[in-house]
Amino acid sequence: MISPVKIWRRQRHIKDQLGKTGKILTWTKIYIAAKEFKKNAPYYVVMVELDSGRRLYGQLVDLMDEKISIGMKVESILRKVRQPSQDGVIAYGIKFKLLKDE
Amino acid sequence: MTGIVSYGFYIPKYRIKIGDIAKVWGKEEKNISRSLLVKEKTVAGIDEDSLTMAYESSKMAFEGLNIDKKKIGAVYVGSESHPYAVNPTATILAEMLGIRGHYLASDTEFACKAATGAMISGLGMIKSKLTSYVLVSASDKAQSMPHDVLEYTASSASVSLLMGSQDLVLKVLDYSTYSTDTPDFWRRDGIRYPSHGGRFTGLPAYFYHIFNSSSDLLKKTKIKPHQIAHAVFHMPNGKFPIQIAYKLGFDFDQVKQSLVVENLGNSYTASALLGLVSVLEVAQKNDLIFFASFGSGAGSDAFIFQVTDNIDKRRMSLSKKIKNKKYIDYPTYLKFMDTI
Amino acid sequence: MVSIIGYYTTQFGELWEKSLFSLVGEAIDNVLIESGLEKKQIDAVFFGNMLSGILENNLHASAKIAEILKLNIPIFRVEAACASGGSAFNLAVNYVKSQAAETVLVVGAEKMTDFSPEQVVGGLSAASSGEEQESGLTFPGIYALMAQSYLNKNKTKEEDLACISVKNHFHGSLNDKAHFRRQISVSDVLNSAYVAYPLKVLDSSPISDGASSVIITSNKKIIKKAKKPVMVLASEVVNDTISLKKRKNLDSIEATIIAADKVFKKTGLKRKDITVAELHDCFSIAEIIAMEDIGFWKKGEGASGARAYSTMFGRSDNLVVNTSGGLKSAGHPVGATGIKQLGEIYLQLTGRAEKRQVKGAKYGLAHNVGGSGGTVVITILGN
Repeated sequence: MISPVKIWRRQRHIKDQLGKTGKILTWTKIYIAAKEFKKNAPYYVVMVELDSGRRLYGQLVDLMDEKISIGMKVESILRKVRQPSQDGVIAYGIKFKLLKDE
Repeated sequence: MTGIVSYGFYIPKYRIKIGDIAKVWGKEEKNISRSLLVKEKTVAGIDEDSLTMAYESSKMAFEGLNIDKKKIGAVYVGSESHPYAVNPTATILAEMLGIRGHYLASDTEFACKAATGAMISGLGMIKSKLTSYVLVSASDKAQSMPHDVLEYTASSASVSLLMGSQDLVLKVLDYSTYSTDTPDFWRRDGIRYPSHGGRFTGLPAYFYHIFNSSSDLLKKTKIKPHQIAHAVFHMPNGKFPIQIAYKLGFDFDQVKQSLVVENLGNSYTASALLGLVSVLEVAQKNDLIFFASFGSGAGSDAFIFQVTDNIDKRRMSLSKKIKNKKYIDYPTYLKFMDTI
Repeated sequence: MVSIIGYYTTQFGELWEKSLFSLVGEAIDNVLIESGLEKKQIDAVFFGNMLSGILENNLHASAKIAEILKLNIPIFRVEAACASGGSAFNLAVNYVKSQAAETVLVVGAEKMTDFSPEQVVGGLSAASSGEEQESGLTFPGIYALMAQSYLNKNKTKEEDLACISVKNHFHGSLNDKAHFRRQISVSDVLNSAYVAYPLKVLDSSPISDGASSVIITSNKKIIKKAKKPVMVLASEVVNDTISLKKRKNLDSIEATIIAADKVFKKTGLKRKDITVAELHDCFSIAEIIAMEDIGFWKKGEGASGARAYSTMFGRSDNLVVNTSGGLKSAGHPVGATGIKQLGEIYLQLTGRAEKRQVKGAKYGLAHNVGGSGGTVVITILGN
């Protein structure tokens, strides 16, 4: 169980990074994951440089079957960041989805 | 005059076809889809829940709006699948939206009408000038027991409404609500999946309560069914809303725009509201919209809305957004729903 | 002047019968024999280890080692993720130079196979930042981000990375103490499963147990008596951000560049004077990046250098890299690696590297990295 205090401290800053756009600096696809992320595997993790210049890490989700490459544009969204334990606090955080022209 | 200032919705991109569920249980797809009038339903991803979806739909409701968030006096989240049994979804949602401090956060529960009940509370707060704005969010990642008939329809979605008294897109002309103790569908604390009374969920539950709230509303407003441009009813399947529409004196053309259940399933608290979103995609200024939700347990909230000339600048396109979909198979569906 | 006068390493591998401290005990007992010393001649001990706290709930190793040695001397545990061994050595050298002691034993050890791979992967990720962990990045994932950046910039392919693993496995086949002594081919590497794209199982160093130790001294009498002493010509530790995202370049480790410049400046040696090196190949990409960062290869030359096997024993005409088998083939008991690297150079410079002896090796370099480059230790040994 992660400390609820740690989640609280982190979560307060998440809203400032939501709905931001940026580009992929580098990426990988994790096949062998740690316990709390096992269920989501395999998943993409990207290092993003937001338009503001700030860099963030996050999983890249909500993909159809696109090929990922450095330089693609993404947007930050709110998701559960790890599989919560049965009785612990749920950690919500930043993930990314590809920015598409709709 | 009170009503809805803006609205937003969120549909997860994953879908599962009724046929892909049916074949696991040795059933014929055509039999199921014929009796339920549902073809496929939405499924929230493994890292999505009612909170993340409520955030997305609320975000859309705030798009292009220039209001002082400090004037939002209440945030209600209505759901049957709140992430916690004890710990409000509303405070997490509000925090993510930048709403903090002097506001009322309140989670509501009443099966599929949890959010529409909160709309009535919101109306009260605004009409009495206790606050300028109230955010009501309906959101569900609905669970259903594998192999149960509900598995074909229980889906995931969220709709959020910002209610106020100025610059409205929908005026609330009047409302009526009806509640009785009717255990047609329930879930005990600690039990994972809901149970239901089978055909008991029909006449004594769904039809009885919607009929009472709706006929009372028509009576007290003296509005006749033929004056209504669009009628929206809670959609547990594709048949019930059509049947209740006829019972109340509406015809198929009035209700057809709202019938999103065929391709999106029944997203519980968001179900009827998604029907409303679909109607708003084509509604015209001055249209009267009849709306009635149903929540098992049981009750119904009925509203008559009038569309204002703000519709053209606030209109959202549901049909465009739901084109972006990805089909998943049954095991993936079980994984996303945390069953396996 | 500080010199290494003895070295011993346990077998690296899955050592079911041995606990962490039985490995430490074995290393200490045998390095004393190798050095021709009695334990009462040891003034202090430095111990490199990363995971015993996280995995076994065992800290206060200094007292534990005092119990094993039955001595009342100062003992220090050093942790810097995978650079724990190298850092312990660096601190020991400076301890001797500061004249706080004359003769110091440095031992690095790790016990990893008592735990499930998931627990170990979880423990290793403590070397990365909280945000890196929270995003679901595993330790291989972070090196995969670097690999992706490198492959993209330098038009390098996965096949080029594979050559590093092939070379190191060949070297490992010549080293009895290595975890893996079987040779592999490029297609073996390419067919192995992905751990974190583009890195595969055979691009990655394994989970191993082991302990390695050296004895260093400034005592002139002991050095004179020693069979084959080797001087520590320079040893530098450089730190950088723990988080990969905070660094300027994603395809290079700045701390390596700085540490390398420092040791070459200090010793006055040139890159071409180094004919034998142990570089930190936790993943195949890491060795390529290290070769460029240290300056053995020009930036961007990595792929062609790897493909040509230009640093392979028997093929190279100047520098041979990772004759021990590197981390990939010799194994990577985290805390022990830094010491093993120094020990391997010591063996090369004293003519005792047996089947993998590089002829006339005079100067050698050891490069030990913690995390994704947050700590780098580079040491040059020579005579």
